[in-house]
Amino acid sequence: MNADVIVIGAGIVGACCAHYCAQAGLSVIVVDRGSVAGGTTGAGEGNILVSDKEPGPELDLALLSRELWAQMAGELGDSFELDAKGGLVVATRAATLEHLHRFAAEQAEAGVIAEPVTAKGLRDHEPHIARDLLGGVFYPQDMQVQPMLAAARLLQHARSTGRVTVLPETEVLEIERDGSGAVTGVRTPTERISAPHVVNAAGTWGGVVAGLARVDLPILPRRGFILVTEPLPPMIRHKVYAADYVANVASDNAGLETSAVIEGTHSGTVLIGSSRERVGFDKTLDWEVIRQEAQQAVAIFPFLADVQLMRTYGGFRPYCPDHLPVIGPDSRAPGFLHACGHEGAGIGLAAATGLLIAQAIAGTNLAMDIAPFAPNRFEGAHVA
Amino acid sequence: MSRETSFTFDGAPMAAVEGQTIAAALIENGVMSWRTTRFGDRPRGLFCGIGVCFDCLITVNGEPNVRACLSAVEPGDDVRTQAGDGHV
Amino acid sequence: MAMSDIAAPTVDVVILGAGAAGVAAAVVAARSGCRVTVIDNGPTPGGQYYRGAPPIDSEPSSGPRDLSYAELRAEFDRLTGSGVIDYRSRRTAYAISRHDDDFVIRLRGDDRHRGEIADFRARAVIVATGAFDRHLPFPGWELPGVMSGGGAQLLVKGSGVIPGQRAVVAGTGPFLLAVSGTLLEHGAHVPAIVEANNPSRFITRASAIRGGLSKSGEFLGYVSRLARHRVPYLHRHRVIEAIGVDRVEAVRIARVDADWRVVEGTDRVIECDALAIGYGFVAQTDLAGQLGAQMVLGADGGLVVDVDPNLSTSVPGLFAAGETTGVGGVEAARVEGLLAGASVADHLGRPPALTRRGLDVVRRDIATWQGFAEALHATFPVRDGWRDQVRDDTMMCRCEEVRAGQVREAIDDLGARDTRAVKLFTRAGMGWCQGRICSSAVDSLCGFGTTQSLGDAAVRPLVVPVPLGALANGQMEG
Repeated sequence: MNADVIVIGAGIVGACCAHYCAQAGLSVIVVDRGSVAGGTTGAGEGNILVSDKEPGPELDLALLSRELWAQMAGELGDSFELDAKGGLVVATRAATLEHLHRFAAEQAEAGVIAEPVTAKGLRDHEPHIARDLLGGVFYPQDMQVQPMLAAARLLQHARSTGRVTVLPETEVLEIERDGSGAVTGVRTPTERISAPHVVNAAGTWGGVVAGLARVDLPILPRRGFILVTEPLPPMIRHKVYAADYVANVASDNAGLETSAVIEGTHSGTVLIGSSRERVGFDKTLDWEVIRQEAQQAVAIFPFLADVQLMRTYGGFRPYCPDHLPVIGPDSRAPGFLHACGHEGAGIGLAAATGLLIAQAIAGTNLAMDIAPFAPNRFEGAHVA
Repeated sequence: MSRETSFTFDGAPMAAVEGQTIAAALIENGVMSWRTTRFGDRPRGLFCGIGVCFDCLITVNGEPNVRACLSAVEPGDDVRTQAGDGHV
Repeated sequence: MAMSDIAAPTVDVVILGAGAAGVAAAVVAARSGCRVTVIDNGPTPGGQYYRGAPPIDSEPSSGPRDLSYAELRAEFDRLTGSGVIDYRSRRTAYAISRHDDDFVIRLRGDDRHRGEIADFRARAVIVATGAFDRHLPFPGWELPGVMSGGGAQLLVKGSGVIPGQRAVVAGTGPFLLAVSGTLLEHGAHVPAIVEANNPSRFITRASAIRGGLSKSGEFLGYVSRLARHRVPYLHRHRVIEAIGVDRVEAVRIARVDADWRVVEGTDRVIECDALAIGYGFVAQTDLAGQLGAQMVLGADGGLVVDVDPNLSTSVPGLFAAGETTGVGGVEAARVEGLLAGASVADHLGRPPALTRRGLDVVRRDIATWQGFAEALHATFPVRDGWRDQVRDDTMMCRCEEVRAGQVREAIDDLGARDTRAVKLFTRAGMGWCQGRICSSAVDSLCGFGTTQSLGDAAVRPLVVPVPLGALANGQMEG
């Protein structure tokens, strides 16, 4: 088999890469060792957020990505539950509120729509929210999708162009390179697939896949647990989260951090996050995490105290030491490109990532500067 | 030995034997379904009968999502058909 | 570390389940001097088999007299009364985890007291949580009046209420006969027992096992009783549709071949107002699964907890007994309970409560009942042909109302290749029951059928839902 591009990973990032490569007229083979969207994507909540990003390259990427998401939803019809629900960030302490307002003002200068909300105003956005919150900021640009459906529908659509083949249950054993170091294709247990371009879209396992081409990529797992409640009528309109969440996302603390992130879903369940821990790939449920998340959720929506927790799920977010994703060609292995390390923002950033990868391969103008995401930026740096 | 007790179902008085489950009391009174589903609005009643399937959910004294197959009738219970998720 | 973990009282053994296995294990462990707590979600001990039955029953029991269920139950009641065994009814262990070298068992009250939670610490745990009916979806199975055989049995035995005046009993296995017998005894009319397999070979198979004669005798007793009531016992027949508007009014049955494929032109309709149905049983393995205990496929192809000859699981200090180690009936559960009680005492360094001879008898009985279970599963297997009756609009997941067509689409069009992906794409198994009812059928419809796939479907972080407020506040009662 051969194609212009091999994408390793059939999650949301791989799906977006395939989508935009096909649009650019390239032929693509997408391989995944498991199911479509069966890895990091399946453990995600489907966030497309600008609210949690400080001004800088990641915010620029997020702003571009949300435009592309809206476009893709238009092209594919509403087949993956895209919901422009908006985000509401709330503060429980005066110092946090002040910090949040400053942060929002900086974001506004970078092009984010951020509307400060008074304590009383919070209830206009969320009628069931706690009365003792001090205020917050509303971000109308925040959206949500059902991430697995998005990946599957994008791949389905890409296949319909005739340029994309999807091979689930196909593990890549080696990324092959020629004498000059350029990639020439991949080897699977049953065959060799050749292509001048190979894209690493393996999410949390991006570091492992980079290793298959013998290049280093410092991508590590950060564990998170989500609580899922019994089904409810619509009670929570937006994605609502505590202002501490932003600090935790950017934190380098290896220990347990939790901050409330609460939202309703199409199926009626309420999802409650979020926790972050660096414990390798250990999936053992931690009841202290459950307790903290429950406590924080009830503090923001008191009615949740009587609502039952039905299940929980855990997953791993792929992160890099500087909390930026890795996007673009790897100068150490010509033809090899990376599209991974998006931490908790992979769903949201997938669209722009896919477009940039397609542009880099097709050699067309890039929609934005990808230098901050360069794969070899960690070379020589001390990685903790 | 068994003592009679009573409860109401959707406001109508019904007899039960003390210690009997709500599901058993309803079935004895000729009621086979006491919940409608969230999406299809279809009737459901007793299914697994041992607390595993949660199909027999019912609202008791204002509390939704009580398993009728495991919960014993208590005198004067206000038992009501549960529509959808049971939250109003 | 949670506060509740520190405050939790510590006991030697927590036994999860007070059925035949749990009662037997508790008595033996207590006889060895262990401090035992028994947790059960029912109002009285006995489990699905003995609940509602008189405490001293007439079931034949092999082995020493003082190890019969009747004697064990009497001793259990005595030890509970004197406070040696701490028996907690109407409680469910919603989760279990490791904490240092101990287990932390998290309990919740019944549905009317679900905010009452408490933690226990134990040095060892015996999982004896039993099993529930296996279901194979078919058109109309979600109609009211269609219920599991076990549910119908408990309804009659526990509350004295029959599910209908004309109750068809269907599925596979000798349990159908027991259900029919109970229904007839309480005045229901049973128009037919619809058995998908050919049970005649059961007699030869069971009789060949030492001690199995009593079971084949029991089986023949049932058969002759049904004959007296003129109940047709149809072999190689299946219910292929439940018919009705808002409740079951009739069932369509048809003759099937050895693979359960419908023989064309043999279908007919039987009017009824209830259908009790079950295709064997699924072991309740959630709690062992939460601890990461090794699972295997049992003789019936279902997921069970893997145990060594002493009933120790792959997790040190965790034992399993009864249906959780393989569906084998109440006698197997009782003798496994005895052994698990002895093993847990030994694990904790306590003196043995059973004599060497007693233990030998127990081990011999376990081997006997394992042979019996194998004969059972060889005679009454689930055959692939059931899937032919599943139309695209047949309900698979009753909770989330997911139909078979959606499951097929996930595989054929969306690229799902494992249990988790099917679940995430379709929501089958994500509802209130957490896939207990549908997951083995979904697994089979997808053609998976491995320890891995069934194990993935059986990952349930909570056995029952718990209010967030209770979890946020921690322990509410000791």
